[in-house]
Amino acid sequence: MKNRLKVLRAEHDWTQADLAAQLNVTRQTVNAIEKGKYDPSLPLAFKIAGVFQMPIDHIFFPKDGA
Amino acid sequence: MNRITPSNHLNSGLKSTAKGLFIFTGIWVASVALLTFGPKVWWEYHVLTTLLVIALNLLTGAMMLFAFFRHLKSMDELQRQTHLEAMALTLGITMIFTVVYGSLPTAQLLADTHPTNILFVMGITYMLAVMRIWISRTSE
Repeated sequence: MKNRLKVLRAEHDWTQADLAAQLNVTRQTVNAIEKGKYDPSLPLAFKIAGVFQMPIDHIFFPKDGA
Repeated sequence: MNRITPSNHLNSGLKSTAKGLFIFTGIWVASVALLTFGPKVWWEYHVLTTLLVIALNLLTGAMMLFAFFRHLKSMDELQRQTHLEAMALTLGITMIFTVVYGSLPTAQLLADTHPTNILFVMGITYMLAVMRIWISRTSE
């Protein structure tokens, strides 16, 4: 799964630690999601969507673009 | 700029459960030592005392296990997944090692086996697996 997390985070001028604190996860988890090394669970994905106040499919999308 | 104050909720939860795990592991290790050396050194193989210490050992073992699960639940999802994958790898490697190790006396390559050696393999495998999986996921 690909995502726009890094771009959205930059738009809000948040560090990985800032976002991690809001999501109650470690900074390493945010980093792993941004780099596509870890796909978050559905609850965490919804939490991320809630933080950025946008639909989940505007942040996460399949690798093949389908 | 909308800077967010980092929450220490996750870290404080992890520290608290890690402390609990450390304490209960220490108590369990002490009860293992008591069970190992006690019958010979302190109570001269008195059966009832040994049975009571076995019960104590099982109880402290269960407490350590609950402390471990509390610790696991206090982790964030990437940490938890890392540990669960490491446990799966440890289970497989320990199973393979145990079968080979158990067959060595039959093949007359070893005089006898010691179950504690399996614990060492388990512990070292788990530690290395956690490190390997965590680094592969979180390397910058």
